[in-house]
Amino acid sequence: MVSYASQPFSSIDEVIARFAAHKYICNRRIATVVYLASSLQKPILVEGPAGVGKTELAKVLAATVQCELIRLQCYEGLDEAKALYEWEYAKQLLYTQILKDKINEVVGGARSLREAVERIAREDNVFFSDRFILPRPLLRAITADRPTVLLVDEIDKADPEFEAFLLEVLSDFQVSVPELGTLKAKHIPLVVLTSNNAREMSDALKRRCLHLYIDFPSAAQELEIVQLKVPEIHPQLAEELVHFIQRVRQLDLKKVPSISETLDWARALVLLNAEALEQQLVEDTLNAVLKYEGDIRKAQEELKDFLSRRKTERQGRETDADKDLLH
Amino acid sequence: MEQKILRFVELLRQNGVRVSLAEDLDSLQAVAAVGFSNPADFREALRATLVKRHIDEPTFDSLFNLYFRGLGGDLVEHLKATESALGFEDADLQNLIDALSQSVQELGVQLSELARQLLTADLGRLEQLLRQAARHVGLDAVERPFQEGRYAHMLAQHLGLSALAAELEELKKRLRGLIPSNDWEKVQKFIDLRLQDLTRAIKRLVRQELEKKEPTLRESERIDRLGEKSFYYLTEEEIRQMKEAVTKLAERLKNIVAVRKKRGKRGRFDIKDTLRKNLQYGGVPFRIEFDRRVKDKPQILVLCDVSDSVRNVSRFMLQFVYTLQDLYSRVRSFVFVSDLSEVTRLFEEQDIHAAIEQALSGQVVNVFAHSDFGRAFRIFHRDFLPAVNKKTTVIILGDARNNYNLPHEWTLKDIRQRAKQLIWLNPENRLTWGFGDSEMDRYLVYCDVVEECRNLNQLYRVIDRIVH
Repeated sequence: MVSYASQPFSSIDEVIARFAAHKYICNRRIATVVYLASSLQKPILVEGPAGVGKTELAKVLAATVQCELIRLQCYEGLDEAKALYEWEYAKQLLYTQILKDKINEVVGGARSLREAVERIAREDNVFFSDRFILPRPLLRAITADRPTVLLVDEIDKADPEFEAFLLEVLSDFQVSVPELGTLKAKHIPLVVLTSNNAREMSDALKRRCLHLYIDFPSAAQELEIVQLKVPEIHPQLAEELVHFIQRVRQLDLKKVPSISETLDWARALVLLNAEALEQQLVEDTLNAVLKYEGDIRKAQEELKDFLSRRKTERQGRETDADKDLLH
Repeated sequence: MEQKILRFVELLRQNGVRVSLAEDLDSLQAVAAVGFSNPADFREALRATLVKRHIDEPTFDSLFNLYFRGLGGDLVEHLKATESALGFEDADLQNLIDALSQSVQELGVQLSELARQLLTADLGRLEQLLRQAARHVGLDAVERPFQEGRYAHMLAQHLGLSALAAELEELKKRLRGLIPSNDWEKVQKFIDLRLQDLTRAIKRLVRQELEKKEPTLRESERIDRLGEKSFYYLTEEEIRQMKEAVTKLAERLKNIVAVRKKRGKRGRFDIKDTLRKNLQYGGVPFRIEFDRRVKDKPQILVLCDVSDSVRNVSRFMLQFVYTLQDLYSRVRSFVFVSDLSEVTRLFEEQDIHAAIEQALSGQVVNVFAHSDFGRAFRIFHRDFLPAVNKKTTVIILGDARNNYNLPHEWTLKDIRQRAKQLIWLNPENRLTWGFGDSEMDRYLVYCDVVEECRNLNQLYRVIDRIVH
C-alpha cells in the first residue's frame, strides 16, 4: 500500500518560519508553492536564472522536513540506465564464471540441449534479482523505506526523451522492471525539478507540476540574505554592495551576477576587512562577481558612476549635518 | 467560487495562456488547500497551478486584477474624490454622513435601500447591489465596446436610477428646513455628488466586464504571424519583437545542436573491438565496446550582403551569423557591399547589438556604395580562398542584385570546388530571381543549396538544415 508522508507543514506561515530557521529566506510565493506541493503531493518545477537558489530550495526543503535528499543531476545523454536502474553486467558475469561448476551440475543430467536450456531458464531469476540490480537515484527515491526529497537538477539539460520517461515515473510513482515486476513507491517523495530555461519544458511535464519562477530578489530581500549568510559583514558595506549589484544587474551583461555570486563577493570583501566599497578594492575583486572581461569593463564604468554619486551624496549629507550644527 | 475560478481559467485561455483540464482541477484543489483568508495566497495558489510559462505571468497578473479585484477600489476612489471635492478631511465626511442619517431618521422618511447605502457610503453593500443588478440584466453577455452604453443604461434602469434621483430631490426638499443654512450647501452638494458617483460606478462595472472580454495579449499568436511576414515589410516595433523571436529561435537551435552532439557520441556495438579487449579475460566479454563516431565540427564561412537594398534583412542575418559564431568555434564572418571585409573579430569582442550596429554603419565596409557581388567575390577569392577547405560550409546571404556589374561567377566555381558545400540564401521572392539586375541565375549553378529566405520560418528551416 502506498502510504503518504504525513503532512510536513500545517500552514504557509509555518513554511516561511521553518525555512528561515534553516537560513533560507523565502517570500510568500515560494512558501505557498512549497506548502501546496507538500499538501497536494505534486512535484515543483522551479525555473529562473542561474544562481537564485533553486537547488538550495530543495536542499533546505529536505533539511526542513528531515528527509534524505536524493539528487539526480541531469546532463546531455542521461538515460534510464543512469537515472533509474542498471543490471550489474560484470557482476552477473563474474558470478557465472565462479559458479561454473554449479551450473554444470544443474545442466549435468540433461539429455538434450532443450532440456539443459529448460533447466537454466528455471534458475534465471537468480541472476535477475535484487542482488544484481544497481539502483540509480529515481529507483532509490521510490523504493526508500522513509520519505525522501527527490531533486532532479537542471532538467533542461537532459534530452526531451528523458523528460518523457520521467513523466511516467512522476505521475504514477512506480517503475516497472521487466525481470522483477512493478515496483511501487512506499512513500511518495517530495519532488523538486529545477530548470535554467535553456530549453522550454514539454507541456505534459509542466501540467503535472506546480510551477514556480524565482527571479532575482529585491534590494531589501537581497540585503537580508547577505546579512543572514555573511553575518560578519559591516552593515554599511552590505548595503552598498547590494545596491551596487542591483545596479549592475540592470546593465546589458553576458552573465548577470547571481545571489551566490553576491555572497561570494561579500565573503571575499569580509576577508579583506573592507568596510565600504572603494575603487581599488572593487576593481581587484570584481572577478568574483563577473566572469567575462567585457562585463567587468562595463561594471567598472558603472562603478565609477556609482562612487562619484555616492561621494556627492555623502558631501550633501555632511553639509546638511553642518547646517544642523550651525543652527 | 468554483464557478468563478473556472470562468477565470476560461479567460486565461482566451488570452493565449495554455491551461489544460488537469490544471483546472489542480487549481481547485490548491485553492481548497490554501483557503480564501489571504488574497495573496489565493493568487499564488492559482499562479502555481495555472501558469506554467514565465512569459505568461504578466497576462495572469493583469487578468487576475481585472477579474478578482472587483469594484471595491473604484468605489473607494469615487468616495475620496467626493471628499476632496467638498474640501473635507476624513472625520468631516463621516460627521456629515452621521448628521445626515440622523436627520433622515428624525424626518421619519423611509428611504429605498439603494439611497440608504449610497448616502451612508456602505461600499460593500453597494457593490453587492450593483452586482445583483448586473446579474439580472445579464452583463456577462457584453462583448463589444459599442454595447457599453446600452448595458450601462440597462443597469441604471434596473437599479431605478431615475426613481432614485427623484427620491433624493424629494429628500433634499424636506431636509431644507431641518439643516442649518451654513451646512446646507455641503449637504446638498454631497447628495448630488453621490448620485454622480453611482453613475460612474455603473459605467466602471460595464467597462470592467468588457475589459475581461478583450483578448489583450496574444503574444504567441503574434510571434507566429510574425514568422510568416516578409522581412521587407517590418515596422520599427516589429523589428524589436523580431529580435526577441530570433533569440528564441537561436535558443531552440542550441538545443538541436546539443541533441545531435549527444547522438553522435555513442555508436553501435563493436564486435571486433569487444573481442580484442576481452582477450585478457579469456574471451569472456566483461567489457563491451561501442565504436565512437567522430563528428567533424562544422566550419562555416558566412558572407553577408549589407547593402541598402537588403537593409532590414541583413540585420537579422547578422544576428544569426552572430549566434552561429557563438555556437561553433570555427565560424568566420564577412560583410560586403562592393568591398569585402572580415568581421569575425568584431563579433567576438562586441556584444550583439553593438557589433551589428558597427557592421551596418559603414565602419567596416562602405555601405553606401552600389553593391557589386562580382567585385566582392573577387576580393574574397584573392584574400581568403585558402581559408576554404573540404570541411568548410560557405554561406552567402544576399539578393544578387549586381547593378549590372560583372558577376565574376568563376570565383564561386572555385570556392565551390574547394568547399564542402556552398549555400546561398536569397531574401527575394524566387519569382523575381534573374529579372532586372539580378544575377541569381548565373550564380545559382555553382551552389549546392539555394533557398529563398524571406521570413523567419524559412530562415529557421534553412538553419536547421545547415546544422544537420
